[in-house]
Amino acid sequence: MWSRKSAMLGSLAVAMYLLGLTLRNSQLVTIAVVIFVFLTWAALFGGHADVAATGRRAEEWTGEEGAALNSVSAMRKLSSARIFEDGELNITLRMQNHSSLAKILEVRDRVPEVMRIKDGANYILMELGPRRETFIEYTVECPLRGFYSVGPVAVRIQDPFGLFHKEKELHVYNDFLVFPKMEDLKDTFVKSRVPKIFTGAVNIRQPGPGSEFYSLREYFEGDSFRAINWSAYARTGKLMVNERERDAVSDIIIIVDSRSVAETGPVSRNALVYSTRAAASLAKYFLSRRDSVGVIVYGDEVVSVDRDTGSKQLYVILTKLSGAVARGNIPLQVVVNRILPHINKGSPIIFLSNLEDDPTIVNALRDFRARNFDVTVLTPSSLEFEFDARRIDRTGYEVMKTERDVLIGELSSLGVNIMDWEPDMLLSTALAGARGF
Amino acid sequence: MTVSRPSSDTAHLYDGKTVRSAAPSRKKIAGQIGTGSDIPKDAIPQVEIPTFIESLLGGPLIPKTKFLPPAKMVQNLQLGVYGVLVALSLMTYMISPSEGTIWYMITGSLGIATIFQLIIIATATGTGFWGTFQRDGRFTLVSHLLFILAILRFASSKVMLSNDMFELQDKPFLLSALVVFYAVLLIMYFELTNGVIRYSMLDTSIRTNEVYVMNPQKIVGKYHRSLLINPIIATLLATFVLSANTILPFFVGIFSTDTALRMEESVELISVYGVALGTFFVFCVVGGLFALNLPTHLQSFREKRAGDN
Repeated sequence: MWSRKSAMLGSLAVAMYLLGLTLRNSQLVTIAVVIFVFLTWAALFGGHADVAATGRRAEEWTGEEGAALNSVSAMRKLSSARIFEDGELNITLRMQNHSSLAKILEVRDRVPEVMRIKDGANYILMELGPRRETFIEYTVECPLRGFYSVGPVAVRIQDPFGLFHKEKELHVYNDFLVFPKMEDLKDTFVKSRVPKIFTGAVNIRQPGPGSEFYSLREYFEGDSFRAINWSAYARTGKLMVNERERDAVSDIIIIVDSRSVAETGPVSRNALVYSTRAAASLAKYFLSRRDSVGVIVYGDEVVSVDRDTGSKQLYVILTKLSGAVARGNIPLQVVVNRILPHINKGSPIIFLSNLEDDPTIVNALRDFRARNFDVTVLTPSSLEFEFDARRIDRTGYEVMKTERDVLIGELSSLGVNIMDWEPDMLLSTALAGARGF
Repeated sequence: MTVSRPSSDTAHLYDGKTVRSAAPSRKKIAGQIGTGSDIPKDAIPQVEIPTFIESLLGGPLIPKTKFLPPAKMVQNLQLGVYGVLVALSLMTYMISPSEGTIWYMITGSLGIATIFQLIIIATATGTGFWGTFQRDGRFTLVSHLLFILAILRFASSKVMLSNDMFELQDKPFLLSALVVFYAVLLIMYFELTNGVIRYSMLDTSIRTNEVYVMNPQKIVGKYHRSLLINPIIATLLATFVLSANTILPFFVGIFSTDTALRMEESVELISVYGVALGTFFVFCVVGGLFALNLPTHLQSFREKRAGDN
């Protein structure tokens, strides 16, 4: 392919040639011919003819030249297919030259734009000897959740003067998943008002209030006298108490608003980013408490993860949260209407939303409250994100803040535990605030 | 046939319900307060696409990242540019007499045209020096354009010298060789100034870990070899191509001596049109070779030969 430099030189030569002929000026013609010769030599013997002569892609290539195209190949290995936000991923790229000639290659391994190269380089200029291979290692930092793909590998060969170059994309892709990062929570202050009473309550192999025997242990001050195992006392001479296995106490439903308006604000600081991180942290906390957790993400469609327990459920939830994209504008009322028949009365519901652009929010949450659901709303304020990023002026901010406060007050009056989650506030603090602590 | 499709309208869900106030649409408010509803700038990944001029120079026109102090390789290239620049400015002065320049055509005064021509050459040299020293593409670009402007002449069918200290005016071959040498010098000046910026960028990228270069000596060595070999080859080939109008009669002479003699004595063939005709034939052959995909066959041949060894 012609570079712009060679195209410019070529145009200059053509212009001089024509001008020379028009004016009968052999000096201009001579200079033009020298430029032509220079370009021709670079094009003929630039040492770059081993890659597609027209810059076409490998799969489009048919014919004899295809053999030369295949002389460079690439393979890639990732240190992990799943990492958390702000985690690091080591990438090893293996470049092979199957040809019997050495090549000077420019190699660029495409990484997603949001990634930051932390160590090493994904752009390498190298001489790859005949039938040799080399390993290129670099580390990327992944600041944002999502599904990502590394690749393709762009290989370029050009003549020393950069007049002509040939590019080829080696279609080697590796996918990986970045989970939202999680905050360790000591307590969420969220408890079910209604014990889980349906048949088949899950035994969770953890001591706590329940009906099934779990183990014996020594009596400590404060233990109930009713828990003392008198037979064991008779056998051992020490006061022993029965421990019971804790039942799964509640179904927790986490609703994440991923409508397009949820992404208002900077890329790394917006309501959706905060909501997904909060949902992941809450899911981890409740699942570690052996509760059963279900997640609903709504935007242009309603995506739900059915309630379940265990670490596998956490993985499923994290995967869904990673893939949450700000799209669509489904009202909360639609989501509530859809899920209401399927959740147990009294289950705690945690709703994560910036509460914008949805006139049905008040009615939807009233429907929950009317059925005695324990509703907690954490609302990351898009206003604060935008004001911090200096996208709205003070007056606009004050007006919208007042309207937001009115809405929050209205929801609070319905008995909803609600907290205006400011950008620098920890999740645990926001939760405590929502629950009135 | 009428197909009943479910409506995407969700209004029916709220029938009989009171819709209460909610936070207003961000876009509406943004429009009212005059901050615009454009896509936020930081929501769009920054992709640096070089402009046309930038790509000609091999780098950004206004360097966004300051180059680190030049490496030895870059310093050597800068010295090379200074040398070529001095030779080029002298040669430009020699082979572009004021007669026939656009200044002479406009003013009709040889004195004014000479002053203009000297100013242009001096400015081209000065900006070239400064641009190379500062590694600033804007100055080198101005220098390139001024050198091109200096050699544009709008009259005369023969090569003329403003200062014929070696008495070349009567030796057409040497005169032609001088112009070829000048043209090669001009291209090398373009290339070297471009190389200074390209290798400064590369050096800065290496030192800031943006790019990793394996075995840089070999890569730089290849560039140095090309700087030496390519001008020599270009000079030889250009001389051959420009002599095509004298070589043609030789081949014609194989078949007809009379015709060859007439061609040699033909005014048209030794004129600029003869040169043009000769080069046209040569480049037709070169074009044919490209059409037959010679570069690829050549590469295959080289690979095969290397494989056999």
